[in-house]
Amino acid sequence: MRVRLTLGLVDRPGTLLNVLEQIAMHGGNIISIIHNRDRITAGYVPVSINVEFPSLGHLEKAKIGIESIGVPVMEAETLEKKVETLLMVGHLDINLTTATLQGMGAKVVGLSLIGSPATPCLKLVIETPLEKRQQLIKSLEKLAESYGCLLIREEES
Amino acid sequence: MIRALVLGYGFLGRALIKKLAAEPIEQLSIVGLANSKGYLYREDGLRFREIREPLEENEGFEKDKASSLIRKECIDLLIELTPTNITTGEPGLTHIRTAIDEGVDVVTANKGPVLLALNELERMAAERGVVFRYEGTVGGGIPIFSLIEKCLRGDSVVSIRGILNGTTNYILTRMHFEGLTFELALREAMMLGIAERNPSLDVEGIDTAVKITILANSVMKLDKKLSDVKIRGITKITPEAISAARESGMTIKLIGSIEDGELSVEPRLIRLNHPLCVHGTLNAINIKSRVLKSLTLIGEGAGESTLASILNDIYDVILCRTS
Repeated sequence: MRVRLTLGLVDRPGTLLNVLEQIAMHGGNIISIIHNRDRITAGYVPVSINVEFPSLGHLEKAKIGIESIGVPVMEAETLEKKVETLLMVGHLDINLTTATLQGMGAKVVGLSLIGSPATPCLKLVIETPLEKRQQLIKSLEKLAESYGCLLIREEES
Repeated sequence: MIRALVLGYGFLGRALIKKLAAEPIEQLSIVGLANSKGYLYREDGLRFREIREPLEENEGFEKDKASSLIRKECIDLLIELTPTNITTGEPGLTHIRTAIDEGVDVVTANKGPVLLALNELERMAAERGVVFRYEGTVGGGIPIFSLIEKCLRGDSVVSIRGILNGTTNYILTRMHFEGLTFELALREAMMLGIAERNPSLDVEGIDTAVKITILANSVMKLDKKLSDVKIRGITKITPEAISAARESGMTIKLIGSIEDGELSVEPRLIRLNHPLCVHGTLNAINIKSRVLKSLTLIGEGAGESTLASILNDIYDVILCRTS
């Protein structure tokens, strides 16, 4: 998975090297680094690093490693997104469902309501940043449960 | 010569006897055959051609519990095929415990005892030097346990997913291809004898959950109970949901999974060209492992195909005791 890490580095020699060591130690392969020394804010240099990690677990461990050497990880944005189809079988509030999805960082790229008022089925196609996906699925499961709906997720290919 | 007692004379018991009558195994002698009413026993082996139906009408039929035969003096192998009880495991669990305790090898297709006490039974079997095989409990004739045990020795399985119940797969297949409602597809499955008279264990996803639990404990060496499985069945699936799936080049299948130590059974949208997307009463199991990566097995998951697993387990016992 490809991730953009935004870090706040103190302007001290060797700090960036320590960060890169942490990334490498957790299986990260660095694609590019933008180190903007002209934009020092409150003693911090914003650094943006694009990294390829083998999995979300590796990213999480790398984040802990980086923070353990005193460098705050301001943002870890997944550059890869998962597009998947979901079905929600039963009665539910469509507006609340889409609002929940958007609130969790998912983008609804397709929506259709199939069936009669007695047996509705909502089909959604959503695009989710990988790191938010598990949390999103848990929220959707809770939502479906609260409506007595059946949530049907897509099997990984 | 291995002296065996077949305990349980239902569908599988009858199929086994029919097969052995047609093609006997040279090193195997069936000395006992039992149903819930009693048993037939002959020290030098039963003559299958002389056995009439029902069992209790045969000369020499003892109206007593066959468990009295589970002794090392009488038998070397117990083939336990009594009906599955997922709550108590009985009577199979007591039969198997007694056999292992007596030093008698065991082959079973009974899910109840394996679900409830696999770790205990395997520990007992190891202590007593007994062969304990249960291939027929999951995936019918698909040799899932044997394959992992004998062909993936240096590898380690990280996840298992699959369609493990032929009845629900038949219902979902009929809903997909013929546009039937769940109720109609279920009624058809019952009329064809694919679904039990009480199909709730199948359609509520419990049968799949039982198999997933057995796989988790056997293959992944976990210590899971049926209550650890998150279960959703197929009863709420509507023709509209199937139609929505079809529009996207997908269908809906009941998938059991073991992933990151979590066990679940739930309907899933699945692409029609996905390796697990099999139809009718077929089962499909995908194993992900560290070295091999991905392997999918497809086969009949119930009925007479289970006999293939039972026979292979019997041969395992014969090989172990005669080599």
